[in-house]
Amino acid sequence: MSMRNLITLTASIMATTTAVAQARDIQFTEFDLPNGLHVILHEDHSTPIVAVGVMYHVGSKDEASNRRGFAHFFEHLLFEGSDNIARGEFSKYVEKAGGVLNANTTGDRTYYYEVLPSNQLNLGLWLESERMMHARVDTKGIETQREVVKEERRQRYENQPYGSILPEVLKRAYAKHPYQWPTIGYMEDLNAANEKDYKTFYKTFYVPNNAVLVVAGDFDPAAAKTGLEKYFGPIKKGGTVPRNTAVEPPLKAEVRDVVYDKIQLPAVVQAYRIPALGTPDFYAVDMLNRLLSNGNSSRLVKNVKEAEQKAVFVGSFSLPFEDPGLAIAFAVANMGVSPDSLEASMNKQFDRVRNEQVPEAELTKLKVQIETEHAMDNNRMAGIAHNLANAYTFLGGTAKVNTEVDQYMAVTAADIQRVARKYFVPENRVVLHYLPKNQQK
Amino acid sequence: MKSHSLHSLALAATLLIPAMTTAQVDRTKAPAAGPAPEVQLGGHTSFTLPNGMRVIIVENHRTPIVSAQVRFDIPPIMQGDIAGYQDMVGELLTSGTARHTKEQFDEQVDGLGAQVVGSTNGLYATSLAKNFPQVMDLVYAVVASATFPAEEFEKARTRQLSQVQARTDDPDQIAEVVGNALTYSKSYPYGEVPTEASLKKATRKNAYQYYRYFFQPKQGYLVLVGDITAVEGEALATKYFGSWKGAEVPVTKDANGHDVVQDLGPIIPATRKPPVPRDIRVAMVDRPGSAQSVIKVVFPVDLKPNDPMALQAQVLNTILGGGVFNARLMQNLREDKGYTYGAYSDLRSDRWCGAFSGGCSVRNEVTAQAVTELLKEVKGMQQAPVTAEELALAKSFMAGSFARSLEDPKTVARFALNTYLNELPVDYYKTYLQRLDAVSAADVLEAAKRFLRPDSCTVLVVGDKEQVGASLKGIRTDGTVLDFNVNGDIVRQDPTEGAVPAPVGMTVQNVVDAYVKAIGGKKAVEAVKDLKKEYTTTVQGMPAVLVEYNMAPNKYAMEMHVGDMLVQQIAYDGERGKLKSFMGEKELVEDELEEVARNSYAFPEMHYAELDQVAHLMGIVTLDSVKTYRVNVKTLGGSQFDEYYDVATGLKVRRKEYQGQEGGGYIQVITDYSDYQPEAGVLIPRTLHQGGGMDMTLKAKSISVNKGISPLVFSVD
Repeated sequence: MSMRNLITLTASIMATTTAVAQARDIQFTEFDLPNGLHVILHEDHSTPIVAVGVMYHVGSKDEASNRRGFAHFFEHLLFEGSDNIARGEFSKYVEKAGGVLNANTTGDRTYYYEVLPSNQLNLGLWLESERMMHARVDTKGIETQREVVKEERRQRYENQPYGSILPEVLKRAYAKHPYQWPTIGYMEDLNAANEKDYKTFYKTFYVPNNAVLVVAGDFDPAAAKTGLEKYFGPIKKGGTVPRNTAVEPPLKAEVRDVVYDKIQLPAVVQAYRIPALGTPDFYAVDMLNRLLSNGNSSRLVKNVKEAEQKAVFVGSFSLPFEDPGLAIAFAVANMGVSPDSLEASMNKQFDRVRNEQVPEAELTKLKVQIETEHAMDNNRMAGIAHNLANAYTFLGGTAKVNTEVDQYMAVTAADIQRVARKYFVPENRVVLHYLPKNQQK
Repeated sequence: MKSHSLHSLALAATLLIPAMTTAQVDRTKAPAAGPAPEVQLGGHTSFTLPNGMRVIIVENHRTPIVSAQVRFDIPPIMQGDIAGYQDMVGELLTSGTARHTKEQFDEQVDGLGAQVVGSTNGLYATSLAKNFPQVMDLVYAVVASATFPAEEFEKARTRQLSQVQARTDDPDQIAEVVGNALTYSKSYPYGEVPTEASLKKATRKNAYQYYRYFFQPKQGYLVLVGDITAVEGEALATKYFGSWKGAEVPVTKDANGHDVVQDLGPIIPATRKPPVPRDIRVAMVDRPGSAQSVIKVVFPVDLKPNDPMALQAQVLNTILGGGVFNARLMQNLREDKGYTYGAYSDLRSDRWCGAFSGGCSVRNEVTAQAVTELLKEVKGMQQAPVTAEELALAKSFMAGSFARSLEDPKTVARFALNTYLNELPVDYYKTYLQRLDAVSAADVLEAAKRFLRPDSCTVLVVGDKEQVGASLKGIRTDGTVLDFNVNGDIVRQDPTEGAVPAPVGMTVQNVVDAYVKAIGGKKAVEAVKDLKKEYTTTVQGMPAVLVEYNMAPNKYAMEMHVGDMLVQQIAYDGERGKLKSFMGEKELVEDELEEVARNSYAFPEMHYAELDQVAHLMGIVTLDSVKTYRVNVKTLGGSQFDEYYDVATGLKVRRKEYQGQEGGGYIQVITDYSDYQPEAGVLIPRTLHQGGGMDMTLKAKSISVNKGISPLVFSVD
């Protein structure tokens, strides 16, 4: 590289990293309770609200292979009450107080949260501590949520065009690892779940040493500390939490298949195996995905959708898993376009990234996009609470909530080409062509 | 109910042993709240540029982000046979300007790390504060000089066509599109449905002229929010939009005074109110293989954002199904019955026409039950005041939502914009919380009675007709379920009704002859000179009497009384007809006159030709296990009806009329005849049952033949 290029390169890297350092960092304090519960506090007095969140380090990858969907089903059950909260009352407390509540489950963790007016912090702490200490379900609750989860599955997956893509990809992309099944699980396993399952799951995973509590918003730190110690302190520490140990071997050869679905327009899905969240190559892969699909000037959108008009929609996204995950490229064909033609157009862009290094101007563009996203991400208390918990649980430390962006900024054009050559190759992918049912012979 | 504690008893006992030195907390009840915090609305700056464009600026320096919204106050206008061009305006806005090709524009936007998104009525842009001045330059380029390149229009059109094609299999899309068509009718802007035909007819010029005509400073707003000072904002607004003039679009006027824009057509805003169904209309879109039925209960609502009861309507909606977990729909359909993952309602206000939409997605086998529960809950809001607990929860939730929304500086900007657009009182948002606090259960009940219509709405089901169609017949007492396609058009029932051919050589005349023979023979029938039939029935719960008079050859009259009131009266003297009702009197003409003329013969089956009707024998159709000859009759006026004669007895058992509906489609009005009894040697049916829009049974109170009728009864003057 010539001297001039090196100077330009360094200057542009310097410019963007300095700019990020000027962005507002999320301030926080953190500590552990004696029972192992990790606590993170972030004060912000701009609006009189407070977000309370608890992230349990348990997800669908911790399920038994004949209880697929259990972690998510269990998340539903944990709204059913506790020793001190009757069925139906949990949400009533929050809504009566003027708040919202929700939860979500992934392959790796289950996250519960409330956003409340700031004078209701203790309510949030009480509710989450009740959940952790002695949650309770009755038969009506179990049977109702079983049906509700089955309806969720039907609504999101079975009754949606292309709804089956994730389950179809996962079961071909993983053979040993529990990521092979989707978090929503399967009907037969949801039907089989029983009382013993709930008790064991709860005792094993819903323990303070497997959880992080976050409080973000308008509160007095001393009062918050007192409150959470009062409510969470008495909860007994749990045992050692078993972790999934399955390691998925390399794919070794392309997996290619056709799926017939209730759709009109064919679609192409390519899923590449990628490194785990938080690893250096993960960030390079994510930058690659942004190069491919972030914004109208991105590689796939500009070429496959706009110039060649092969797609109504095209994108490529990283699935950030705790164990090695996937990057999924997905495109829906424009009318009259065959999946083969669409795939060829997509492959051309993957070839380009493997064969040519990304020009600096394009890399700079990606970094400005990252910087903008980072500023927007930490805009609201609910988002900040989640990001803090996520950084602690998966990124190696809560401070990463501010410094993770630096790992993106450190990615070079050479890195992007390197990971393209390493991961975005046929022998490392699952390819599915989705075809309309009426084409099934 | 068996209760499962998620700890064994031993473990629970351990937990009860106090392990701390600090004061023991009482976990058995919820902790008390602290003193309520003050909710600060925050201010904004606003001013008007010399060209009429209003500027609103909200400063907030928490995050280094600035957003700009440009919004034009555009009324909904009919698209007609080019429906869909408006959907393309948004993406075409950012497809090229006077200074940029699309490619150049996209590169610039992405290079600034920005988002710039067009819509039918404006543009939204956001970026880091340091890049914002350059983003404003792009915003201005779009608003003032978007070019809508022909090539880009074709690409956008192809994508829209693909989406229309994809709609066929997307149950949520179908429910949305057909739901709108059924809520507003297709002759209202909100109910129009883009189709392959309409998209192919639309041109680039349609979209381009729409943009040029409507994107004018005098109806424009620029809203700047975020890490920008009022001074900076004013400078940017003035720099870019200060002297912006808007396109000069020559217009002519049409006969109705509407602007006519070249290459677009007449600008026809929505002024009429959409029609309201007469009763519960059940509509189905067949999506074979569906794993669930997507159900929506819909109807239009006359509710503007500045209606004095708008806030009460929001409280009503929150309690019914507006997003709280404890809403009636969620608690019934999900938490009690387990039918669905989520049931919601939306009672929407709108400057032109509001609407109600409530529903859920359920497994096939509980479709009809879910519909019943949905309707029951909507009706329930009108039948009794909500409980104190429900009211408190809803108000508290809404107050909390209001407070939480202020976290985002765009909220205050939105409030300012809404105040202008919706013509709200200037202190609308400042007084929101105290007005909300004052809402009572009586208010909510009043709002429910005023805005909800559980008895005259449309129930739409998108699902597998083979699996769930039969169960939907139980919703209306006459069992009618209307079939619609994914474009919101009614689908004709199988026109042949599974008819098998009549015996070779059989004609309509044969059928009529058999009928005349069955009812008494030609001689007895022709001997009937006058006929008076008096029926009793109930209309909306009240006793009603219908009297029909026939006098040879073809004079006809009828009167309908409901309770003490004369509701309708018709007189036809053989040539002219008159209709009298509580709305006044009018002479009958055209279709209406033709319809009365049809009834003017006591036994019209013998007079098809005189009435200029063409009758065809369509075959043998089985109705409720009875084989019937189906005779289809087409009138000169273009309408038609079917009559069904029992093969075995010869008697007429059914008449089916097709009544056109506003906005297209039709409903069938079916009259079934039974209980034939003789009078003066002629069999006349004593029970008539009418379905399809009305559900009415008429029982003959008296039938008089040749008893004399005053000629004044038939007088038109």
